[in-house]
Amino acid sequence: MPSEIITLQLGQCGNQIGFEFWKRLCLEHGISPSGVLEDFATDGVDRKDVFFYQADDDHYIPRAVLLDLEPRVIHSIMSSPYAKLYNPENVYLSKHGGGAGNNWASGYSQGEKLQEEVFDIIDREADGSDSLEGFVLCHSIAGGTGSGMGSYIMERLSDRFPKKLIQTYSVFPNQDEISDVVVQPYNSMLTLRRLTSCADCVVVLDNTALNRIATDRLHIQNPSFTQINTLVSTIMSVSTTTLRYPSYMNNNLIGLTAPLIPTPQLHFLMTGYTPLTTDNDQTVNVRKTTVLDVMRRLLQPKNMMVSTGPDKTNHHCYISILNIIQGEVDPTQVHKSLQRIRERKLAQFIPWGPASIQVALSRSSPYVQSSHRVSGLMLANHTSICSLFERALGQYDKLKKRGAFLDQFRREDIFKDDLSELDDSRDVVDCLVQEYEAATQPNYLQWSAKKGQEEIH
Amino acid sequence: MDTYSTKDPMRAALKKLIQHSNAPFTADDVLREFRTTKEKRSNRKLLKILEIISKHQPKSEEYLLEASKLLEKKDPFYCLLNFLNHYSETNIMQAIRKKDLSTSTPLLSKKMFETVTPDSVSEIKERVVLAATGGLTRVGQNTSAANMSGSHSPPPLALPACNKNHTDGVWDYRTIDNLHFQQNNISAIPISSQETLLLYDLIYCLTGMKGSYITSEECVSTGRGESTTVKFKISEQIHSSLRDIAKEILPLASYFTCIEQFIQKASFTECGQVLQALSEALNNLIRDYYLLLAQLESELNVGNLTVHKMLFYVRPTLNTMDVLAAVVSDISENELRGGQVLTLLYNKISALTGDEESQKFVIQLTQLASVPYMEILQLWVQKGVICDPQQEFLVEDNEVIRREELPEHYSADYWEKRYTIRRERIPCFLEKVSDIILRTGKYLNVIRQCGKKVTPPQIMNLQFSPTNQNHINVIQNAYQFASKNLLEVLLKENELMGHLMSVKRYLLLHQGDFITQFMDACEEELAKNVDKVLPMTLENLLGLTLRLSSAKHDPYKDDVHCELLTYDLVTQMSKIMNNEEEYWQSHDRLDLNGLECFAFRYEVKWPVSLVLNHIAISKYQMLFRQLFYCKHVERQLCKIWKENSIAKKFSPQAAELYRSAFTLRQRMMNAVQNLEYYMMIEVIEPNWHIFIQNMNKVENVDEVLSFHQDFLDSCLKNCMLTDTTLLNRSIFKLCNICLKFCEFIQSESSMVPSDTFSERVKRFDLEFTGILIGLIKQINDVASDNPSDRFINLVHRINFNSFYNQQIDKLCAKDSML
Repeated sequence: MPSEIITLQLGQCGNQIGFEFWKRLCLEHGISPSGVLEDFATDGVDRKDVFFYQADDDHYIPRAVLLDLEPRVIHSIMSSPYAKLYNPENVYLSKHGGGAGNNWASGYSQGEKLQEEVFDIIDREADGSDSLEGFVLCHSIAGGTGSGMGSYIMERLSDRFPKKLIQTYSVFPNQDEISDVVVQPYNSMLTLRRLTSCADCVVVLDNTALNRIATDRLHIQNPSFTQINTLVSTIMSVSTTTLRYPSYMNNNLIGLTAPLIPTPQLHFLMTGYTPLTTDNDQTVNVRKTTVLDVMRRLLQPKNMMVSTGPDKTNHHCYISILNIIQGEVDPTQVHKSLQRIRERKLAQFIPWGPASIQVALSRSSPYVQSSHRVSGLMLANHTSICSLFERALGQYDKLKKRGAFLDQFRREDIFKDDLSELDDSRDVVDCLVQEYEAATQPNYLQWSAKKGQEEIH
Repeated sequence: MDTYSTKDPMRAALKKLIQHSNAPFTADDVLREFRTTKEKRSNRKLLKILEIISKHQPKSEEYLLEASKLLEKKDPFYCLLNFLNHYSETNIMQAIRKKDLSTSTPLLSKKMFETVTPDSVSEIKERVVLAATGGLTRVGQNTSAANMSGSHSPPPLALPACNKNHTDGVWDYRTIDNLHFQQNNISAIPISSQETLLLYDLIYCLTGMKGSYITSEECVSTGRGESTTVKFKISEQIHSSLRDIAKEILPLASYFTCIEQFIQKASFTECGQVLQALSEALNNLIRDYYLLLAQLESELNVGNLTVHKMLFYVRPTLNTMDVLAAVVSDISENELRGGQVLTLLYNKISALTGDEESQKFVIQLTQLASVPYMEILQLWVQKGVICDPQQEFLVEDNEVIRREELPEHYSADYWEKRYTIRRERIPCFLEKVSDIILRTGKYLNVIRQCGKKVTPPQIMNLQFSPTNQNHINVIQNAYQFASKNLLEVLLKENELMGHLMSVKRYLLLHQGDFITQFMDACEEELAKNVDKVLPMTLENLLGLTLRLSSAKHDPYKDDVHCELLTYDLVTQMSKIMNNEEEYWQSHDRLDLNGLECFAFRYEVKWPVSLVLNHIAISKYQMLFRQLFYCKHVERQLCKIWKENSIAKKFSPQAAELYRSAFTLRQRMMNAVQNLEYYMMIEVIEPNWHIFIQNMNKVENVDEVLSFHQDFLDSCLKNCMLTDTTLLNRSIFKLCNICLKFCEFIQSESSMVPSDTFSERVKRFDLEFTGILIGLIKQINDVASDNPSDRFINLVHRINFNSFYNQQIDKLCAKDSML
């Protein structure tokens, strides 16, 4: 009766990061690429059944559903050593095979058309778990399949499983390079609306920040997808570590996320990780790290996986923080570190409610050797995340003003009559930005949106 | 009749009196009455008997008065003799004495004086010895008869009664008062002849006989009357020069008497093995003394002895005997026994520094006297067995029942109460190691009770020697062996740490996923009133959860059981803090639901139950109940969080109406979670860390016990479970308001905001904030009194971003105004 979690991987990006995630989980739980439990991993101090189910005694299968509208990534997965890991029935490729053409509307309509087949898989997975706790969705917000089909599936999931949690790992596009996807601002805006109203918790993975970290901090000239995705898989695996290696607290998804999210809308979390290394420079970073070091570094913007841009007015603040610390930690240090941070006011918190840094000391996998004595992941709800949405709004407005590239949207059912869906989405996101801004103020409780329209439903 | 009266004049006299008075008892009855031990008799009763039998006799009143006086001071038997003397035709005392002397003291036979030759010295010696031991055995017989009926507990140094009956004991000069030796006037004879006579007399005196010219004076009672020193008076007829020297020798006789008396008294079983061993050792020394006397006598017989020579010969002995006599009179005066005797002897050794000769004797005596004690000790430290019939050993076994018949809550007291040290019984040279001694045997006992054989690596011979510390080494070796073994039994064979980990996992909620699953499974059942909860259902659900959760790999999962306590946490707390033994007895049930009464129970077998005894488990349970309750509240808050997350679909305007409810929920969540984090991460985990560190270098089981207790007590204290009045109740109130709020939110399922909704949220807000600020203030107050406690950390956590500062200041200001 574990609190099972079903992972849905959508589109090129979603499947790529999902693939890295499962690779990482297999490594941590001592499961071979073909899903067989390694001999050294039979002592069972971990909880594999949150993310895996057992086909037989030593054969573990991920609770994962792989969906895509074009075959490239899924084919590469199915020709990798991990091909046998997945349940082949859970891998769904559109017969059409032409993809969504980086068009949100296309992905959305195809999702609608394919929903029966997709939900057959999801329902079967859900029925197979004793006490399903929720879904984790991996996708990007800029493309076609992950954003469009993802949006559709999110809507249906929240209708069909209103009591289950929906968490997403959403990849935001890199702002530093010019995207070849011209309608990216439209795609982002439409997806953001669903993320706001359908997901319970969104872990924002900002490609801008990930690439900057790779080049600036890891000194990789042209970071590959794999290298970026390794970062992502680290974040995903560590953020689920309290579920897989349970201890006193935070040992189910709701217990992990609920304290971070005080009001339903403000559910976009950013992550930070330290120490950041890649495979090739492990020797450099072997040094003594203390809990305080880790916690202090986690509060530095350069370690954040979201690039929020400079906070000119310096008014943004933390709504909540959860630090998951792994490694050889002296539990007596936790309090001292918290005290230090409090005294030196290293973190600025909201003025309208109590907020604090929670520290979860987590066990880590005995099978993966870390070169660091202590490592830490921060899951934080920070108001500056709205700068990402502001940026998206700006780009959207620019594009929309010119009325550019709207034809391909009009072709799909949802935009057949008019383009109000786009404007509605813009309003929702705008409202979200306002709410985040309001959350920096003491009178947040009395705040009401200015440009708001009527209720959506 | 006549022959009878000569054979037993006392009985005859008694019989006559009884016949006259028609008293309803026989002569034997009366004799028995007068012979009973000191404790049992009452002087009044004895006087009454005398009064009855002398009813028709002349001058009875006068004699009775005399008898009552005698009873006060002397032995009743002497008093009876004295009394009967008045009514008997023959002098009973003399009759008895003549008989005794003629049979038992061959030294007095006249012919000896004529025929003594150097060859017969050994023969004389034998006789002397015979006389001495003869006297002993006689006394012994008397006593054993008299003591047969006595109580089992040994009377303190209980010689006495019988010895007093035996008024004409060999070593009691005073009783020979009436005996008249032939005493010629010798003042006229030459000094050299006087000297010979005096020498004979001296030798008599030194063997405990009264001489012709040396008479004992009234005894000087020193203190409690048990030991007496005898003073001698030398006839004026002896020339004063001889007299002076004789006076120097004579104390030896009194020392000798003193020691002999002691030897007699101390050889009874009830006196304990130490005294017996001591008297045995003294006896050996006395043998040497007799030898000296025999030598002196033979010298005298060949005419080589002068008073001066004698003084010269006896001088060293005089000194030694002085020391010994002082020792024995000390012992009997203070009624010492067992370890106390050894302490006295041991102290004497150091007191005698400088007097090498006597010191040697005392060392020897101490060694010999300690032999039986050390044997008991050896058996205890090497086998864990107490074989101590006379209750002399420093460890006392308070247990009569066997372990199989243990009461339910046995092992908690076992460690403290089964074996105890009797401080007064410790010989001073074992004082420092007494604790080790106690523990050694205790450990061995536990090992044995685990069904294991105790086989020490080598048989160590435990002997005490005042001059070295070997015995300490032996004890320490035995201790190390025992403690190492028991630790191994406990830690390795019985996997104590594994059990403790399991307890931590279940009772301290370390295995969070298991607890979550269990709460999922039992939520419905535990929400009922405690009287309606079915323990079997809970037990089944527990079993199911244990098997399905990650706990399934725990080898000790079957030791966990459910328990529904019949009182709330506060009651349990006050009970355990007051250390009431009967706290597990049931009480009137309060109106509690299953959740408030629920706790896990962890059952372990001996010897793990030594550590995880019922007190320890109760402490774990208290922690569990608080953690469990907080966890429950957290889960309820999470539940409404999920239910309310539907509001993300609402327009901002609609969401605004709920925001106050959401933020209140968040404040509750923050408080409860911080409380949990505080207890788990800042209290339990660090303390556990310290406990584990201590356990890695633990050396004996007592340390294990004390570390474990420290761990638990520190956890309890810092989880605010020791202060019965304040903090705990506030926490409970805080939890309850959160639960009420959850109920309220869930009942508002329609989610139609209304005025009453926001008003009610406001009321909840006020109430919750009031309780929380109250709690914070209480903690602040407590913390300012005890800066070493960690309570204040909780305040820092809850008020991490200083959100509550204003309210706290307001409350403080209000307080100071009052």
